[in-house]
Amino acid sequence: MPFTYNTEEDVAAMLEAIGAASIEELLSQVPADFRLDRALDLPPAMGEMELDRHTRELAAMNVGAASGAVSFLGGGVYDHFIPSVVDTIASRGEFYTSYTPYQAEVAQGNLQAMFEYQTLITRLTGLDVSNCSLYDGASAAAEAVLMALAAGKGRTRVVVPASLHPEYRQTIETYVSCLPGEVVTVPAPDGVVSLDELRAAVDDQTACVLLQQPNFFGCIEDADEATRIAHDAGALMIAVFDPIGLGVLKRPGDWVAAGEGADIAVCEGQSLGSPMQYGGPFLGVLACRASLVRRVPGRIVGQTTDRRGKRCFVLTLQTREQHIRRDKATSNVCSNQGLFALRATVYLSLLGPEGIKETANLCLQKSRYLAERLAATDRFELAFEAPTFKEFVVRDREGRVDELVADGLAAGYLVGVPLGPLYPDLADCLLVAVTEKRTRAELDRMVAILTDDAAASPQRSPREPAEVG
Amino acid sequence: MQNQHETQLLFDLSKQGRRALRLPPCDVPERPIDGLLPAAALAPAPPALPELAEPQVVRHFTNLSTQNMSVDTHFYPLGSCTMKHNPKRNERAAALPGIADLHPYQPESSIQGMLHILHEMQEYLCEISGLPACSLQPAAGAHGELTALWVAAAYFKDQGQTHRTKVLVPDSAHGTNPASAVMAGFETVTVKTLVSGAVDMEDFRKKLDDNIAVFMITNPNTVGIFEPQIGEIGDEVHARGGLMYLDGANMNAILGISRPGDFGADMQHYNPHKTFSGPHGGGGPGAGPICVVEKLRPYLPAPVVAKRSAVSHQHSAKENPQSTIRNPQYYLDYSSSKSIGRVRSFFGNVGVLVRAYCYIRSHGPDGLRRVSEQAVLNANYLLSRVKHILPVPQGDRCMHEFVASARKLKTERGVTAMDIAKRLLDYGYHAPTVYFPQTVPEALMCEPTETESKETLDAFAETLFRITEEPAELLHEAPHTTAISRPDEVYAARNPMLCHCS
Repeated sequence: MPFTYNTEEDVAAMLEAIGAASIEELLSQVPADFRLDRALDLPPAMGEMELDRHTRELAAMNVGAASGAVSFLGGGVYDHFIPSVVDTIASRGEFYTSYTPYQAEVAQGNLQAMFEYQTLITRLTGLDVSNCSLYDGASAAAEAVLMALAAGKGRTRVVVPASLHPEYRQTIETYVSCLPGEVVTVPAPDGVVSLDELRAAVDDQTACVLLQQPNFFGCIEDADEATRIAHDAGALMIAVFDPIGLGVLKRPGDWVAAGEGADIAVCEGQSLGSPMQYGGPFLGVLACRASLVRRVPGRIVGQTTDRRGKRCFVLTLQTREQHIRRDKATSNVCSNQGLFALRATVYLSLLGPEGIKETANLCLQKSRYLAERLAATDRFELAFEAPTFKEFVVRDREGRVDELVADGLAAGYLVGVPLGPLYPDLADCLLVAVTEKRTRAELDRMVAILTDDAAASPQRSPREPAEVG
Repeated sequence: MQNQHETQLLFDLSKQGRRALRLPPCDVPERPIDGLLPAAALAPAPPALPELAEPQVVRHFTNLSTQNMSVDTHFYPLGSCTMKHNPKRNERAAALPGIADLHPYQPESSIQGMLHILHEMQEYLCEISGLPACSLQPAAGAHGELTALWVAAAYFKDQGQTHRTKVLVPDSAHGTNPASAVMAGFETVTVKTLVSGAVDMEDFRKKLDDNIAVFMITNPNTVGIFEPQIGEIGDEVHARGGLMYLDGANMNAILGISRPGDFGADMQHYNPHKTFSGPHGGGGPGAGPICVVEKLRPYLPAPVVAKRSAVSHQHSAKENPQSTIRNPQYYLDYSSSKSIGRVRSFFGNVGVLVRAYCYIRSHGPDGLRRVSEQAVLNANYLLSRVKHILPVPQGDRCMHEFVASARKLKTERGVTAMDIAKRLLDYGYHAPTVYFPQTVPEALMCEPTETESKETLDAFAETLFRITEEPAELLHEAPHTTAISRPDEVYAARNPMLCHCS
């Protein structure tokens, strides 16, 4: 038990003050029938040195983007560069070992950082209000759908394109599964949603339309037209965006025209300075129009003044929340991804307007370079004609996607996400993402590996899994 | 030493032309953006982010950090939140290359070490809860509640029991319980609790009928007592065909001492950021893994981590050396056709789970049990001192936390729980949780945790006593030593200013 203070002497003195003969007597509150009469069946304790060795051995059985592999994986999680300042700030104990700012006087650091986060998100999205974050992009999309259903006064239809991230669609399905609501999926045969079919699917019972820009395949959608279709039917438009993409792409709030775009915008904020961590924890971003503020789930920070008139920050609009409203709350969410919202705030502060634009441009230029080089080979073609931002779908004319992945790994390359499990029609396709971190040498080698070019040698073997107890 | 100069808003510090991060030049042939993307999709200008220099960013956020209390710097007896020491070894492990840099869509053969950790975590959590099946996916405790209720709804639907529409929740429960129930399509029925904190059995029996789906109970409950009638409650819920859910927020009291599966729970969530010391991160992230009884296993979110038996694994490896790559030992299992589906993207809050794994490995079975014993000892010791200062309506014993009441002080001198909480800040203590549970008037909920010393608890109790002797006027305006004092929350709610407008 490495983290406690009490000596035997302390324990004896404390028990005497309590008036108990033993700790066992204190535990007698637990009915005897329910006392565990054996030790838990868990491995024995490890000291710090053994734990350090053990975790390093386990880590060495994996190959990741910073441990031996060059990553072209995307699909919502990306190997973007994380400046050292982000880690330095997020490693400060005053941030990561604090909790929910219930006592504003001793939490102004967190509260101001969250107010700054909210401001950055409104500027990024072109919308009026941001909360202090939700669990991840998928749950943020689902919470946005619940907002739209609540605002829709009886409208029950939720329209999602097939080009929206499949895991987001599945999460939305789960969230509406026990509520009045139906999810209608509109096909995206050419890599972008079919606008004719979207028009046909949206009716006067439609609460909201979702659109991901760039979409799951990396393609640019006609966001303006999709927004018009939603709004013409009186439905809300929910944008799912890529925050790095906003270095060059129109803000969701500006789709159609400034102030006429999406009503709610959500995203996965992992790209903003968070490590990939095998999929979490991440950062669910949610912003919306001012008219929807009372329906926002989760925490919101507001500016006010203290009793001496000094500017300060507090949690606000709490009557939406579960600890006050219980079963009438807008959501059951009672936390935020504070540390990851902080990381995003620091990251965006370091990037600035020029930095985000340059990052986006590098992703765009490099991904197009790779896409075109692959498309120029005999073996590959691009699956879709629509323009792409930082990822794209490539079709293997030989249909041996699993082999490409295995051979790539053997060469130290994570070459892409096989789409078969998510889209059976695209079983011969690979989703390839290119971030600003990839160099031209890596892109060229990627082409060589995928085309089995002799230049791809020397081959590297994956690390041998070690036996770990 | 705090520096107020550098805590202006980022946007006030911004100056046109400043840069921090500089990116490398483009090393592939560069083409105009408007030649690559349709004009209608392009932004006229990049977003209006602040323009700052790197030293400025470092100084700004470092100075902001000094305006927080934290576990690393202060005693933080925030009841119900288990603000225990966050071991630094766990931070190191979670940041290792090979852990922090893994992508969720990597081939399974490239993440066997990670899947090993997650598979072991599933087994550890099952053993600690006494429940046989686990999903690590939920992102937070409240998300675990919601996931478990979706599982229950799917189970009852499958059983043809769609008449089960009610979720019973004690009035002392966390607000997330009723909120989660509504999101899962149930109606909530509130069950009263007694002054002792125990469920009012008479009211419970009055509200229990054949339409019950789930009884959600927190045990030890939010006043820190082990529910004395938990056996009867479980039996009666089960006799009516309902399920019992355990809100696992207070698992820090019973590790290795009592298992929810043994006292009748069919489902539970964990808060690894509390019980297993994953840091709270200023409000998150946490995680909310759930464990359930066997009959609910098929409904868990997909995927779960599964392990091929050693025999078949070795056998296939012998036949074909490639098969350890194609058929690695650990894999993601999507096979249950009854699964409720996804509750989030990707696998779970893995970074938090890795820290929890390290915590469990650091303690072992005896260490975990001693964690709970010491948490109970510290809470009872603090209770024994505080009860002479502020009444503790539940009595002389508690598990890991207790709830004191400032009602008498309020009646006699007009001093509220909030006044006491704010004054504690002046003395360098984080306040207990106040005004929760709502069943105790002027509540101050104290959870000292096992990672505090007798000296700290003594000093805290002495400070509390000193505060109760101080003039009411002084307390109404506390805190006096912090950078700000008593923000106007009513103004903030009536005139929402939620971002910095340029």
